[in-house]
Amino acid sequence: MTRLCAGAGLWAALFLLILAPSPASASTNALMSNLANPSIGFNALMLAQVAPDLPGPDGLQFQEAEVSIVSVVDPLWTLWANLVFSETEVTPEEVYAISNALPDVTLKVGRFKAAFGKHGQLHRHAWPFIQSPFILVNTIGEEGFDGMGLEAAWMMPLPWYAELTLGAYRSQALAPGLASAPAEGQLMDLGSTSPENTPTLARLKNLWDLDDSNTLELGASGLQGLGADGRHRAAVGADLTLRWIPLRQSNQRGAILQGEYIQRLSYDDSGLSRECYGGYGSLQVRLDQDWWSGIRAEEATNATTDVLAQVNSGVTVMQPGRLQRASANLTWTPSEFSAIRLEGSIAKTDNDFGLPTMDRRLMLQTNFTIGYHPAHAY
Amino acid sequence: MKRTSILLAAALLGLSAAPAHADLKVATALSDLADVAQAVGGTHVKAVSLCQGYEDPHFVPAKPSLMRAIRDADVFISTGLELDGGWLPLVLPGSRNPKIQPGTPGFVDASEGVTVLEKPKGTVSRADGDIHPLGNPHYYLDPKALEVLADHLAEVFSGLDAANAADYAANAKAFDAKLDAGLARWQAALKPYAGAPVVVYHENFIYFAERFHLKIFGTVEDKPGIPPSPRHIAELAAQMKQAGVKVVLYQPYQDSSAAKGLADKAGATAIEAAFEVGGTDAAKDVTSKFDALVGDLTQTLSH
Repeated sequence: MTRLCAGAGLWAALFLLILAPSPASASTNALMSNLANPSIGFNALMLAQVAPDLPGPDGLQFQEAEVSIVSVVDPLWTLWANLVFSETEVTPEEVYAISNALPDVTLKVGRFKAAFGKHGQLHRHAWPFIQSPFILVNTIGEEGFDGMGLEAAWMMPLPWYAELTLGAYRSQALAPGLASAPAEGQLMDLGSTSPENTPTLARLKNLWDLDDSNTLELGASGLQGLGADGRHRAAVGADLTLRWIPLRQSNQRGAILQGEYIQRLSYDDSGLSRECYGGYGSLQVRLDQDWWSGIRAEEATNATTDVLAQVNSGVTVMQPGRLQRASANLTWTPSEFSAIRLEGSIAKTDNDFGLPTMDRRLMLQTNFTIGYHPAHAY
Repeated sequence: MKRTSILLAAALLGLSAAPAHADLKVATALSDLADVAQAVGGTHVKAVSLCQGYEDPHFVPAKPSLMRAIRDADVFISTGLELDGGWLPLVLPGSRNPKIQPGTPGFVDASEGVTVLEKPKGTVSRADGDIHPLGNPHYYLDPKALEVLADHLAEVFSGLDAANAADYAANAKAFDAKLDAGLARWQAALKPYAGAPVVVYHENFIYFAERFHLKIFGTVEDKPGIPPSPRHIAELAAQMKQAGVKVVLYQPYQDSSAAKGLADKAGATAIEAAFEVGGTDAAKDVTSKFDALVGDLTQTLSH
């Protein structure tokens, strides 16, 4: 905890150092130009929530603020940093360098969101729904798999867009994003300190232009490593995205149909165990220049969520069950830089522990961005 | 299975056997830039635009297929002034093509050398809408700005392909002469309407208005990038009626119902006009784009 606080303090100090105005700037213009300063953006997410089935989190919440800093380092590299502020800590969610000068291949080194699946690569402020799908929370983590590592993404010489990404990362237990730590065996644990443990990833992404307005994307991902208990753990996933953006109305109409399936496995000499599996299907429709709507259905088996917290002898344990949830939202985006989203969800939990079988939520989220706003991936 | 294998083999064969018809493969962020590049490059260049003329250049979807389309390009021409800032920062690095990254000889900022209008003064605030902090990037509606670009491209192409430098210089000169002849024609056609007020959908008409002495009376958008509110439309329509504004111009990618609704309320005529090459069937190249735009304007203003 002390280490965490010290780390947070260091990042906060660095952040203040970057943003602090130079008191002598007027007199040092001739010596120190600010023309090559990085682009800086700031995003804030706030949430009002009514959740009658949860013990506490009704009311207003500060979800997070994110500072994004990006600049070309030199002809070879560009450096990105996304520092996330919650109410209690500062996290260097991503700090990585990406290559500018290699043909056909992009190299990424640092701490970053690994290229697993679709939803797991999105930053929270770009999520199409306020809540992360159950299956992500219970496999690669609520906000995807992020960690220290190295990735190479090769654009394959094929007639369509095909990208093969290979990655290697530092060993770690993935943060699931739940109110309490899940019970043993429910964590995607790649935390073995054995020298044999280098978590690795592979992803193949394919995209076809069906015509001017429609694209089909198919992806497959795999992540594996060694758990602290010596057991091999893996997550495998497949995703499909159909996107319709009419070019004559690219800022007024559109629809995205997306599905993703992820399965968490463990295996050793005694055999293979299918620990948790599930997926989601969603449809987002752009109604107008400033209105979006979305619906999502999802299911996860042998998974846990906040209402499945059970206190045993003073210790909170997240119990597993079969989860199903339906969500619907409506988003108003009066400009590129702000959005207000109203979202409702009903989750059904099928569990053997006498814990709540429903999780109903009504949420209102605000999303504001100032400064530089990096383009979002397609 | 057999059919799939044949298709895949044919596609791979097509890639590997692609003949080098052109000495330089040029990709651009805007259709007008591709047209100028093709005119200057002639038979030595194959130029393609990532953004189609009927597509809003502010909101080009950053499709991975665009990255693939420029992976082998020798030159990339950006519109500059951040018009392509919403998608190019993804597409250009995503191409994994080191020849066309900013800072290399293969990357061209087409706004270089252009006299930029509407550069914000003082503090830039998004309370004024989604403004362009480096100035108005729609300079391609000024024929003289396209001549600046043609001369710039002749230099760039000559630097990359010295063997054909004389052809590039001659082509640029011929392009300039053709546009100068067009300019004289368009100025003569619009001269009787000097000072005439027009309403445009977005603030992308200033270069044309300045060159041909028209007055921009207002915009359909409340503020740049902000959709029009009913109140704004009602107020603008009343002002247009009072001032006798006859024309509302909009592009194929803008909300035609808002433009037509405003024109109906104000007793004006809404014209769908291509500001970019390929926006309409009539705008086949930069010359025909200006021909069509000037023709539409004179026809409406004469009534």
